[in-house]
Amino acid sequence: MAFAPALPASAPSVSAGTRARPVARGMLGTVLSHLVLAVVAIASIFPVYWMFATALRRPQDALGQGLFPWPISFENFGYVWQTIPIGRMLASTFGMATILTVAQLLVAILASYAFSRWSFVGKKVLSMLFIGSWLVPFQVTMIPNYLLVAQLGLLGTVGGVVVPNLCSAFAVLLLRQHMQAFPRELLDASEMDGRNSWSALWTVVVPNLRPALAALGIMLFISAWNEYLWPSLVLQGSPDALVQMGIRSFLGSEGNDWGAVMAASTMACIPIFVIYIFLQRYVVDAFVRSGLK
Amino acid sequence: MTTASGGTVVAPDAGSGASNGPGPDLAQPRRSRRLGWRRLTPYLYLLPAVLLLIVWTYLPLARTFDLSFYDWNLIPTSPREAVGLDNYATVLGLPEMQQAVLNTVVYILAAMLFSIVLPLLIALLARRAKGRTKTLYEALIFVPYLVTPVATSAVWRWLFAEDSGLLPQAAQIAGLDIGNVFRNPDTALWAIVIVVGWQMLGFGVLVVSAGIAGISPDYAQAASIDGAGSWRILRTITLPLLSPTIVFLGLMTVLLSAQWAYPAIDILTQGGPNGASNNIYHLLYQFGFQNFDAGLSAAAGVLFFLVFSAVAWLFTELSDRLSFYDN
Repeated sequence: MAFAPALPASAPSVSAGTRARPVARGMLGTVLSHLVLAVVAIASIFPVYWMFATALRRPQDALGQGLFPWPISFENFGYVWQTIPIGRMLASTFGMATILTVAQLLVAILASYAFSRWSFVGKKVLSMLFIGSWLVPFQVTMIPNYLLVAQLGLLGTVGGVVVPNLCSAFAVLLLRQHMQAFPRELLDASEMDGRNSWSALWTVVVPNLRPALAALGIMLFISAWNEYLWPSLVLQGSPDALVQMGIRSFLGSEGNDWGAVMAASTMACIPIFVIYIFLQRYVVDAFVRSGLK
Repeated sequence: MTTASGGTVVAPDAGSGASNGPGPDLAQPRRSRRLGWRRLTPYLYLLPAVLLLIVWTYLPLARTFDLSFYDWNLIPTSPREAVGLDNYATVLGLPEMQQAVLNTVVYILAAMLFSIVLPLLIALLARRAKGRTKTLYEALIFVPYLVTPVATSAVWRWLFAEDSGLLPQAAQIAGLDIGNVFRNPDTALWAIVIVVGWQMLGFGVLVVSAGIAGISPDYAQAASIDGAGSWRILRTITLPLLSPTIVFLGLMTVLLSAQWAYPAIDILTQGGPNGASNNIYHLLYQFGFQNFDAGLSAAAGVLFFLVFSAVAWLFTELSDRLSFYDN
């Protein structure tokens, strides 16, 4: 399967080939490497820094180009807080992403368990169903999905954002790999203990897959939080429903009040940054194994 | 769902381990009903996922296919008119479509720079940095990938803002007047490329680094004892062993880069000016939700689906032929 090559997460990387070279040349190479890496790292982080810096200037300094915002002011954040219901937007986005994550994990746990534990008629066809869904871009199915969500009366609601995304084919395929690596003997032992497959799943398999589930869950949460196209269709008439839509309409109405726009953008990013800072290892691990979106 | 109960009847069966063999001849009626349950078990576990996939992916795909033969404006009460292959003929002849397809190819090729070429260079250089420094570089380069798309667009609109933005001012110092890049047909597409490339780079670096970490250092060591230089080791050992990773990233880029560019296009340029920065997905959106031409959007969608499936198939063939696996 070309979609998910096995990528061992963190073996020690040994710099190959440097030892046969004269020391001076190796030094020069190392210095050059650091230089290039530092430039790329700064180019990557600078726009994010600039977002924070602009948000933290006083409104009258908004156009200032000083590298450091001084004096620091939270006035822009106060302005955003008063102008749009950003607290509520953040809360409902958080709720949406949480529900979606839990549901996707649950659906994926059940499906991948079936794939990894039994062989059954139609297994190949069914697993092609999951792999094949990668080839169906969301834009190709968006009109029928939009009509169905409208029929269900979910247009303009967060429910309309959640329901079509309850199954993540990617999550199923990833968990299936993890479960296939699960020691068969443990399952056989639990069967001899008289456990049925359902209780074996929740008492033996799931507790042992906790790190993988955590990494996957974090990734699904980030993806849900950053979802753009589908929410922008379903929530067209209600810009206050999720933070992405709220900031887009704020960008339209307050276009050139850059301090306020950057403050709103900062608030939309903070939850994900917090996750990244505290759970970096899981996040990186999950994305390395993924390749999703 | 009590399949393997503690009953004595089941014990020998469980010992044989094969719950998938039918073996109905010897079974008593009661037991065969149990075996029937047993055979259903995997399907029951799969039910929610498969149902959701069918309802929200495959049935809609079939409906899109169906819609592509009708002329319809998305209003439930207005009639659909069967038009045969007209939508396909129209969509293939539309200049907007041709431009969007061309732009998409440009976007994909440019994205390769940020998802494969630069990540390879950076990850190879990063081998020389060690421990914490390396982690720090990679962590910083990955941050843009996590920035919410709307915030990404907002930040870059501010950085590129005419007059007051940082980049036009910097360009002015260098004697260049870049004006509003998102409204200039010559620069709009490239500005979007920069925004999306900035966001994708960290992901590519992460995947390539993981690929490099998976290569056993023994090969390089052995080669260097045999007198191979570092360039030669790179060309004959590292890159061939990385080829599955590279093919994987290539496939991701082809399948997903139009997807990645969508929010930036939608927020920063709306595909303009005059379609200069449009890509196929944003065009599908415009057909469907701005012109309310469901048939046209569906026909274009079907065509893209077929082309992307063909490309994906080619890539899997390619990865089967070209990949050198490390075993």
